[in-house]
Amino acid sequence: MSVVTSIILRQMRAPFIILIMGYSIAILGMVLTPGIDDQGNEWHMSIFDAIYFVSYTATTIGFGEIPYPLSSAQRMWALVTIYVTVTSWFYALGKTLSLIQDPTFREALTKNTFSRNLKKINESFILICGFGETGTALAHALTERNIRAVIIERDNDKLQTLPLADFPVFVPGIQGDARDPEQLIRAGLQHKKCAAIIAVTASDETNLKIAISSKLLNPKICVICRSELRDFEENMFSFGTDFVINPFQTFANIFAMAMHSPSLHLLYDWLTGVPNTSLTNPVYIQEGHWIICGFGRFGQSLYKQLIRYETPVTIIDPSEAKREKFLNKPENKNNDFIIGSGFDAHTLKLAGVEEAAGLISGSDNDSNNLSIIMTARELNPELFTVARQNKKANEKLFIATHANILMQPSEIIARKIRTLLNSPLMIAFLNKARHQDPEWANIAISRLSGVLGEERPNIWTISVTKKEAKALHLTLNLGRVIRVGNLLQDPRARENSLKSVALLLKRNNKLLLMPTDDIAIKADDQILYCGTPVAERSMKWTLNDIHSLNYIMTYEDTPDSFVWRKLHSYIKRNDRRRRPRAQRHLDHSKKH
Amino acid sequence: MNREKVVFSFFMILALTLNFGFFAGSVDNPEHHNVYELYAVVIVNLIATILKFGDRSQMGAMLLATSLVALVQLLSASLVWAVAVHVNETGLTPNTMATIVSLSGGAMVANIISVVLLIIETAMMRH
Repeated sequence: MSVVTSIILRQMRAPFIILIMGYSIAILGMVLTPGIDDQGNEWHMSIFDAIYFVSYTATTIGFGEIPYPLSSAQRMWALVTIYVTVTSWFYALGKTLSLIQDPTFREALTKNTFSRNLKKINESFILICGFGETGTALAHALTERNIRAVIIERDNDKLQTLPLADFPVFVPGIQGDARDPEQLIRAGLQHKKCAAIIAVTASDETNLKIAISSKLLNPKICVICRSELRDFEENMFSFGTDFVINPFQTFANIFAMAMHSPSLHLLYDWLTGVPNTSLTNPVYIQEGHWIICGFGRFGQSLYKQLIRYETPVTIIDPSEAKREKFLNKPENKNNDFIIGSGFDAHTLKLAGVEEAAGLISGSDNDSNNLSIIMTARELNPELFTVARQNKKANEKLFIATHANILMQPSEIIARKIRTLLNSPLMIAFLNKARHQDPEWANIAISRLSGVLGEERPNIWTISVTKKEAKALHLTLNLGRVIRVGNLLQDPRARENSLKSVALLLKRNNKLLLMPTDDIAIKADDQILYCGTPVAERSMKWTLNDIHSLNYIMTYEDTPDSFVWRKLHSYIKRNDRRRRPRAQRHLDHSKKH
Repeated sequence: MNREKVVFSFFMILALTLNFGFFAGSVDNPEHHNVYELYAVVIVNLIATILKFGDRSQMGAMLLATSLVALVQLLSASLVWAVAVHVNETGLTPNTMATIVSLSGGAMVANIISVVLLIIETAMMRH
């Protein structure tokens, strides 16, 4: 028996008993009270008659006084009957209504609905812990790729927004504390279709606890964690968390990429952004003197990247202790540390804002960051500004400051996880691309923009396996040669090519960047493509439909049905007989 | 002393005793079996059944099952009675009476099991 039925039955005991008591007393009274029949004799209702009478009276249907008009004594008892039974009905109904509104009951009901929904999921899904800004962005990104997501969130108010969010696929959510393993299991941690768990709650400690529970309770699944502190990050890795994402570190890396290889940064932005949004222009970050306001986790990550390329940096931070520590390190001797908050013109001038190339406002307070950017812009309108935005709600304000780069932790994490989950090969591609020279990135960019035009591409991976590329796998097994370029032909008109570019080919752990069209595909290869949604659909068509593949490769189209197959082979036999011997020989050798 | 237990046991034992009262007597003689007693047995059994609702233990499930069995038996007995007297108007022939009484006898067996289970549960509580 489920908890819900159990609660209903237990709560409805009293109303039911009262109803039965009321009915039984009324019926008994009705039987005992004397009446008069049409001949004027004394008459008693039988139990059957009484049950009939009381039933229609209690439910206020009121068929009247049957079979004979009631005597006064019977009418008196009928009055009692009406008041007793109708009141018990009201009581029972009231109790039912209050039960429906009871918070405990509602909670049991939602939990019940959730586990029913969870049981019904028969495709792999991803469990997201925390439905904050990052969690919401992730859920959107996943469901848009038709990946199922399940959400566990501690705060009921945040969870209430779940049904309002317009996801293309249904996303079940449960209220619960993810630190409690019991609740994680209830949310589907041990479900056989649970493919990954993503811990993106605001607290590192909670994320750590989730990672531990997941690794212990279901070692098979992929665990992705958000972490903002180094200690936690190392701790998470120590027991095999698959990916730990530090938004500050990630941003610092991207920033360094943007600074030293704008075209590579542009490539990164195109390939990891939300598909089908318009492309951004490249960001050119000036070299020169930089100012960092706020030397916390964010400021320190960026500082490390800046000094790697020997950029002169001035730091502004109100903490004395940080200054001591900073100045004690020998590698910092060329750089300045000024005590202050940075939102007053005096400190900024002291740091040399008027001649500086760029400024980073990286405190954990949004008002301070806004104020720093505005003051600095006034002092030096040419300044390149990087702003850290902590709260999603302040987005409009930050956009209004026209900061050159906006850093939103939740957006950065969501983007990274999206890339991780959508196409694991993409990470390999980006890692390999990072070690290429800027010239390579320029060529790649011009190739992509030539093929794709003005929109961010879709990213997809094809695996040449029997399951995912039926036709291609079959044809390769026949010994035919199919090249990377062949798959880029349009299966509707083979002389046209699909708007798509092959980015990476993976064969037995070897990676080939930007495979050229003439490379022959082998079974079990994995190829990463980017392109328009239409190209993705067409390519999937080619991979799985033997007719399309035959058409593209200009192989003969083979009939499918029995009758046509017979007819076809008959025609072919006749055809061959008519042709000269040399031709036949050629045909034969081609076949093997 | 637990008041809930008293009420609970009271109704279960009353269901059994009333049931016995109706059942006792010659099986086909309407004189020996009072219709009001059958009525009381049905009502008391209904209440006993509802008191057993919502208990999720194994014992609770068994008790509920026995009560449901008794209820089915008694309701069929009353149905036979109502049909014989009011629908067919054949009255209580020895044949009909025997059917009614034997059905209530079945209900009594279920009620006995119920009470035995109750006693077992109480005995186990001692430890």
